Amino acid sequence: MRNLLNFLARYHNLIIFIILEGLALYLLTTRNDYHNTRVINGIRAISQNVEARIYTARSYLGLRKVNTNLVEENIDLRNNLERLGRNGGHFFDTLNDQVFDQQYRYKGAEVIGNSVNRQKNFFTLNKGRKDSIDVDMAVATSEGIAGIIVGCSENYSVAMSLLNLDFRVSARIRSNGYFGSLNWDGRNTGQAILSEIPQHAPVIEGDTIETTAYSALFPEGLLIGVISDFEKSGSDFYRITVSLATDFRRLTHVQIIENLRKTEQVELENQFQ
Amino acid sequence: MINSLLRYGLIFIALILLQLLVMNNIQFSGYVNPYIYVMIILLIPVEISAWLLLIIAFLTGLLIDIFSGSPGMHASATVLAGFVRPFVLRIISPRDGYESGATPSMLTYGFRWYLLYSVIIVVVHHTALFYLEVFRFADFFRTLTRVFLSSLFSVTFILFAEYYRKGR
Repeated sequence: MRNLLNFLARYHNLIIFIILEGLALYLLTTRNDYHNTRVINGIRAISQNVEARIYTARSYLGLRKVNTNLVEENIDLRNNLERLGRNGGHFFDTLNDQVFDQQYRYKGAEVIGNSVNRQKNFFTLNKGRKDSIDVDMAVATSEGIAGIIVGCSENYSVAMSLLNLDFRVSARIRSNGYFGSLNWDGRNTGQAILSEIPQHAPVIEGDTIETTAYSALFPEGLLIGVISDFEKSGSDFYRITVSLATDFRRLTHVQIIENLRKTEQVELENQFQ
Repeated sequence: MINSLLRYGLIFIALILLQLLVMNNIQFSGYVNPYIYVMIILLIPVEISAWLLLIIAFLTGLLIDIFSGSPGMHASATVLAGFVRPFVLRIISPRDGYESGATPSMLTYGFRWYLLYSVIIVVVHHTALFYLEVFRFADFFRTLTRVFLSSLFSVTFILFAEYYRKGR
């Protein structure tokens, strides 16, 4: 307290000066339109400058993510190109035209309902029978497979998510072609189990798992995920944990994939079963 | 005491009226706007306490502001001038200091001393005032010219007035 009083006694002239000058400047900047506008514009310019810098910094920090996405997309497109090239060199087939040898037709849809926290998860899409969507079509995202359509109304359809105990899909290791059956064990939304891979198959952590064409639903070579862990189960097979490529917690845009030759394949197969 | 207060009051009123009625209407091509009321700050006795000087300066500036419709502009310039006056007086003090009860006058301390004294205070005041008026540094040199020319005019007036006061 004494120090404070000493301080005030010592600097009282300076303090009075600051108070009076502050008062005068306050009057100047609030009671004069011109000065007021100048101050407001100045503050606005400063804040806009700061905001622009923050935005630049933030977008710079996000570049890694953007780059990864672009690389993934690039790889995906290259693979698609490769596959199209193999299909007889017709790159721009879009019609349901058997002459052009098209087997799969893609349609975009948006996910309008989704669950990941149950044992049997489904998600809802905003396309239905009106958009010629039908049961047993495959659903994938740009990252990897997502599920299978199990029910349709006029405008909506419901798909069984890969995160569903009833979901099963034929899958293989891309590097060597050994195939097995993939399903979800109901535990982790980021992982699924690939079984029925024989123990003599070379399995390496990090290997890519993709779809086969055996199911007649998914096109061949769609990404499912990568091997994150594996162990021997019984004496014959591996039990492989696959970390999924698709993030089911934020499904937004999906592709619905229709196999135009599914009926033909299934009918033929049924004759011998 | 009462007598000197009355005298100061009359001089202040005369200066303010002169400023408002005559000097505020002078416009030499926009460069010369003399503000002779700064003389009020120059006239106040040397021994006045600094805080009282600041308050007098603030009120003087505010009075000019009220009548010229620019709240705060003259007040901030005069408060600044009042703040620097004690330092200026200390720096240019004569060899044997100021006598008690002295006023800064040309008669007592000579023409050169008074010229230096008035030029410093007036330039400080005018610099603050003109830059606050334009409130930007874009026209820096144009404003500097205005400060110089207006200070020249104001100082000339103050010297004449002081000479006249001294002659009495």
